Amino acid sequence: MSEPVGIAIARVSKSFGAVQALSDIEIQVKAGEFLALIGPSGCGKTTLLKCIAGLVPIDSGRILVGSRAVSGPGGSEASLVFQDFALLPWATARENAEFGLLLRGAPASERKSAARRALAKVGLAGSFEDAYPAELSGGMQQRVGLARALAVNPQVLLMDEPFASIDEQTRRILQDDLLRLWSEERKTVVLVTHSMEEAIYLSDRVVVLSPRPGKVHRVFEVPLPRPREALDVRASADFARLVDELWQILKRLQ
Amino acid sequence: MTPLTAPEPAFGRAGLAAVAGLIVVWEILGRLQLTIFIPSASTVAAAWWGLVRDGTLSRSAGSSLVSLLKGFVPAAIFGVALGLAMGRFRTLREVLDAWINALMSAPLSALVPVLIALFGVRDTVVAATVFLFSFFVIVVNTMTGVRGTERSLVEMARSFGAGEAALFTRIYLPAALPAILLGLRLGAVQAVKGMVVGEMLISLVGMGERLIYYGNTFLIPELYAVIVSVLLVALVSATLVQACEHALVRWK
Repeated sequence: MSEPVGIAIARVSKSFGAVQALSDIEIQVKAGEFLALIGPSGCGKTTLLKCIAGLVPIDSGRILVGSRAVSGPGGSEASLVFQDFALLPWATARENAEFGLLLRGAPASERKSAARRALAKVGLAGSFEDAYPAELSGGMQQRVGLARALAVNPQVLLMDEPFASIDEQTRRILQDDLLRLWSEERKTVVLVTHSMEEAIYLSDRVVVLSPRPGKVHRVFEVPLPRPREALDVRASADFARLVDELWQILKRLQ
Repeated sequence: MTPLTAPEPAFGRAGLAAVAGLIVVWEILGRLQLTIFIPSASTVAAAWWGLVRDGTLSRSAGSSLVSLLKGFVPAAIFGVALGLAMGRFRTLREVLDAWINALMSAPLSALVPVLIALFGVRDTVVAATVFLFSFFVIVVNTMTGVRGTERSLVEMARSFGAGEAALFTRIYLPAALPAILLGLRLGAVQAVKGMVVGEMLISLVGMGERLIYYGNTFLIPELYAVIVSVLLVALVSATLVQACEHALVRWK
C-alpha cells in the first residue's frame, strides 16, 4: 500500500476576473491527516480544493502534493469525490468505478479487479455492480463515487461536500464508513463541507476560511479520541462543545 | 438488471384503437358518397392492392426510398459531425448558429427550384431536398446534447487526466447520444417530408410524382392509397430510429 503524503499550500492566490477568490492561502496538511475546510459561502473552499486537484490553475503561490508541484489535472496522487457524485449515467456501478483506471490506460483485467475491490470496500459488492446510477439511492451513488476515487489507489482524497445532498440518516452511516475506510487505508483527506458537525466529527483539524477574498481565518484542532465511529463520539459533551466553539467562530464571519 | 420503466411502444393499445376507429368513421363517410374526394376506406384498400399488384407502388416507392437513403444518410453523418463540432467549439457555434437557426425554420421547399437549377430535373434533386429537410434538426439536436453535458462529468474526467480526445469519446459523445438519436428520429420524419416535397416539385419520380399524377387525373382512391403509403414510410423510418434508441440508450 502506498504511504500517505502531505500537502503544502504556500501563498496561494486566485482571482476570477475582478473577483479575488483566494488570497495568500497557507495550509500544511500532514501525511495521513483528515483535514476539513469550512467557511461561509463565497470563501473559496471548493475553489481551493479544485486548485489542489489541478482543475483550477492558481495565479500565484505553490501547491505541493507529496513532492510534486501541482501544475494541472490528472496527477496520480489525488482523487476527487464530488458533491453531485458525477457518475456516468450510461455506465454501471462497476464501469463507473473503473473509469479513472480506464482514463489512465489500465488493462481491462486490472481495471475490473481494482473496481471490484474498491466497490467491496465501500460496501457495494455483488449484484449492485451491474446497476446503473439511476437505479441506486443517493447514498449508494456516492459509495460508487468513492469507489471510483479509491480504485486508482490515490494517496490523497479530495472530497467536495460529498454528503451534502444525502439524507441525514444515510449521511451518518456514510460518515462512519468513511472514518473506518480512512483508518484502514491511511489516506490523506481534505474534505470541504458546510456542516460543522461533519467537520468536527470527521477531521483532525478544521481550517476556517473567511470570505471575499478567501483567507485562512483560523485553524481549529479537534482533540476528540478515535476511532470515533466506535466510541459514539457524536453523543459526547466534548463533541457538542467543539461544534459550538466552531459555530462561535463561523457566526462572526457571516 | 431490468430497466426502471419498460420502453413505451410506438403504438400502444389506445393508439391502435384510435386508428381502428378512424378507419371505421372513414368507411362510413365514404359509403355515404358525399363527394368523390372521400372514397371509402375499402375502396382505397382495393386501389392500394391494385397498385401493389401491378408494380406501380413498388416502382415508385423503390425510387423514393433510394432518394430517401441518399439524402438522409449523408444528412445524418454530416449533421451529427457538425453538431458535435458546434457543441464543442464556441467560435464555430458563434459563426454558424444564426445560419443554422434561419435555415431550420425557413420554408425549404422554396429552395427546390434552386436545386433543380443546380442538378437538373433528376432524382438527385430529391436526395438533396431530403438532405436539406433533415440536416438542420440533426445538427441542432446534436449540438444541444453536447452543450447539455453535465459540467461535473467533464471535471471528473479531467481530474483523472482525460485529454481532449478522451473527453470527447468518453463524456461528450455518450452524454449527447440521447439527444443525437432524438435528432435523427425527427430528422427521419423531416426526410420523408423532403422526399415527398422534392418529388412533387419535380413531378418525375417516386411517390410524389404519383401523388401529382393521381391528383391531376382525379384517381382519388389511388391518390389516397399513395398518401397512406407515404405515411407508412414515415412511420417505419421513425420506428427504425427509435429501435436504435432503445438498443443504444438502455440506461435511461
